[in-house]
Amino acid sequence: MATVRFFATIRQLTGQKETSLRSDTVQELLQALAEKHGVGFQKAVYGPGGLSDEAIILINGRHLEHLPAGLKTKLENEDVVAIFPLVGGG
Amino acid sequence: MYGWVGKILRVDLTSGKVSTEPLNTSLARKFIGARGLAEKILRDEIAPDIDPLSAENKLIFATGPLTGTLATSGSRYNVVTKGPLTGTVAASNSGGFFGPELKYAGYDLVIIEGKANKPMYLWIYNDKVKLRCAEHLWGKLTDEATDLLLEETDPEAKVSCIGPGGENLVLFAGIINDKHRAAGRTGVGAVMGSKKLKAIVVRGTGGVKVADKDAFREAVLDARAKLKAHPVTSGGLPTYGTNVLINILNEAGSLPTYNFRTGYFETADKISGETMADTKYVRNKACTACTIACGQVSAVKSGPYAVAGEGPEYEATWAYGSQCGVDDVDAIIKANNLCDQLGIDPITMGSTIACAMELFEEGLIDREAAGLALNFGNAEAIVKLTEDAGYKRGLGAELAEGSYRLAERYGRPELSMSVKKQEMPAYDPRGIQGIGLEYATSNRGACHVRGYLISPEILGIPEKLDPDSIDEKPGWLKTFQDLTAALDSTGICLFTTFAIGAPEIAAMLSAATGVEYTVDDFMQAGDRIWNLERLFNLEAGLTAADDKLPPRMIEEPIATGPNKGKVSKVPEMMSKYYQVRGWDDDGVPTGEKLAELGLA
Amino acid sequence: MSNILLISPDRCRGCGSCELACSFKHEGEFRPAAARISVLRFKAGISVPLTCLQCDEPYCMAVCKTGAIVKNEVSGVVEVDGDKCIGCRMCVMACPFGNINYSIATKQAVKCDYCGGEPECALWCPEQAIEYVPQDTATLGRKKDYSARFARLVEEVGS
Repeated sequence: MATVRFFATIRQLTGQKETSLRSDTVQELLQALAEKHGVGFQKAVYGPGGLSDEAIILINGRHLEHLPAGLKTKLENEDVVAIFPLVGGG
Repeated sequence: MYGWVGKILRVDLTSGKVSTEPLNTSLARKFIGARGLAEKILRDEIAPDIDPLSAENKLIFATGPLTGTLATSGSRYNVVTKGPLTGTVAASNSGGFFGPELKYAGYDLVIIEGKANKPMYLWIYNDKVKLRCAEHLWGKLTDEATDLLLEETDPEAKVSCIGPGGENLVLFAGIINDKHRAAGRTGVGAVMGSKKLKAIVVRGTGGVKVADKDAFREAVLDARAKLKAHPVTSGGLPTYGTNVLINILNEAGSLPTYNFRTGYFETADKISGETMADTKYVRNKACTACTIACGQVSAVKSGPYAVAGEGPEYEATWAYGSQCGVDDVDAIIKANNLCDQLGIDPITMGSTIACAMELFEEGLIDREAAGLALNFGNAEAIVKLTEDAGYKRGLGAELAEGSYRLAERYGRPELSMSVKKQEMPAYDPRGIQGIGLEYATSNRGACHVRGYLISPEILGIPEKLDPDSIDEKPGWLKTFQDLTAALDSTGICLFTTFAIGAPEIAAMLSAATGVEYTVDDFMQAGDRIWNLERLFNLEAGLTAADDKLPPRMIEEPIATGPNKGKVSKVPEMMSKYYQVRGWDDDGVPTGEKLAELGLA
Repeated sequence: MSNILLISPDRCRGCGSCELACSFKHEGEFRPAAARISVLRFKAGISVPLTCLQCDEPYCMAVCKTGAIVKNEVSGVVEVDGDKCIGCRMCVMACPFGNINYSIATKQAVKCDYCGGEPECALWCPEQAIEYVPQDTATLGRKKDYSARFARLVEEVGS
């Protein structure tokens, strides 16, 4: 089971801080989350249009974009997926 | 004059003489204003190798041509001097309402010289300027001093003042304006304290004109629309404040923890923006002309740390939080509030306490000297030691010199997490390579707001750079450093750059001043300012050997979390950085480069 | 039906864009001290923008001896006729809200004129704390906001 953590507005959208899911790949995991959490999540993170430009997804601390397999990245037990909206500060 | 208001106020505290002089317009064109222009004047008027706390040092309060206009977040002013913490050029930037008011009073810059023989404050009402006795205010916290000053001058005036930290020459004392906005870093408040200047109070009823009203209106509306459309500047920052970064930096494995022993803090969520938004934030508060309103009025309603005020910002939350291993959000808010009240920089304060905690755990500081056990995670300690440092009580007197001098005193300078004796902020350079190069090369000691590569490396703005890669970082860093130097000199806020860039800023600046700045002109002004700062530091005695991170960053891998095992590769990037900058192998700007920039 | 400026202080974050926009429009420069709208800032970040309320029975008009102040029945705006104003400042004394000023520059009474129907303060307010809305439905938005809160409470209690 991979651990999924939600932050900022994504936490509001899903109504939870953390969940566990069994999925083979990041894409499958996002699809399962999109089905469960509906249109808001689909627009903000991942939906029929693919990945949102306004989401930051970290797999074990690494940006999804910097993983060679991207959405096809395999998930194993104890992997951590962290999902953020686009945020900034300083 | 357009954009600029055309006048400099000069105050000699030694003689009590107050005079005005016209702004040198050709210098203003080249160095824009605020940070750049004041640094040019500083370098021309003082010898860079002087003692920063001597009467020879000058303290310049400087606005930019966009300060006090409708330009996006055009609230900023800079305090420029030679910094006592670092021995480098110091430019600390603050928002609120003080900077605009200086311009409405008719001044682009106020240059403070000499040293008073007793506490004074400067009262500016348009062209009526007086030095007044401040003996009754000396020792007062910034909040109370501000209230008293408004009572005895004008309730509509704006106040920029020091607290006990600056008075007591705490080397990282800041200057606080409008009660909770701070020119925080590099010890500018200690310089003000050394001059026995408690405050500048200003009331201005004049205005700021712009050269091309229609073009300015258009340029600002365009920039504002972009800020409103961007999720960071319209959603994330207003809702969660800058603390929105706590969780993402932690999840990315780069939230410095336990004095940079590691980059992951197990209980980070307890001190996050999400938690504070739910439990501590009261409402947003904007600076002048700001559409973002990231400022958070906050309150701890009960308990030993009950307090009402503003903040903390991300950096302070980190410094007192994970850096000290503390996850008691109430204690963090209280300690941060003490920093505002005492007028000291929470980044250096928190990180210096973290250094003391490590020295304590290493058995080098004993419990009796500290007055309590200084184990990582002790929430009581961050509050007590902050107050002790502000008043230089007990161990606090040692902490008041910053972590480098503290660790050196105990024979372990390598335990200070600083560059050029200023503490690194809240991003672990072992997990984010570009920001390490930024810390190492920042002209005012370690700092995140001299070239915020966190934006591309972690947040993916304007594009996503791999935080582990190094090849492209020197080039990106130069661009960010130049952009920031130019932007800081205009008087608008760095946060606007999440949504707008050089084209939008140059358009506002050109329309305001009537001087046509192309994007290239604007970026070159930034490059010029960066090189000017470098020249000042070289003349002050710094060398390439000072462009380095603490050895822990290079030798000790991050201990836990997603970045476990990583170290910084700053040494591998340095020669390329010097090359990109047009500097020789010793980090000295070449004659060719200086000629190109008109600095020869 | 004419529009009015509806101010919602709970949304105001105190940035003063309204003052800057107002003075830019009327004085040609950024000069909050000369603006016809003012943001009053209180403790704990509470800010209240204030400008002329365009009263139905304006005190300023009642005390004006030269007839320089008139209520425009079409636009609803209380207007100052510069040709007739003698700068006596009676209106400034009479306004119970402090919303009409004396301009040192023009030596006349100055006040909000809704910028002739396109108020700049409303345009530039980043928080919609100042809105220019039809008079008859001006408060509908507030009713909706409040009733929605009420509805949520009822739902929570009921469930």
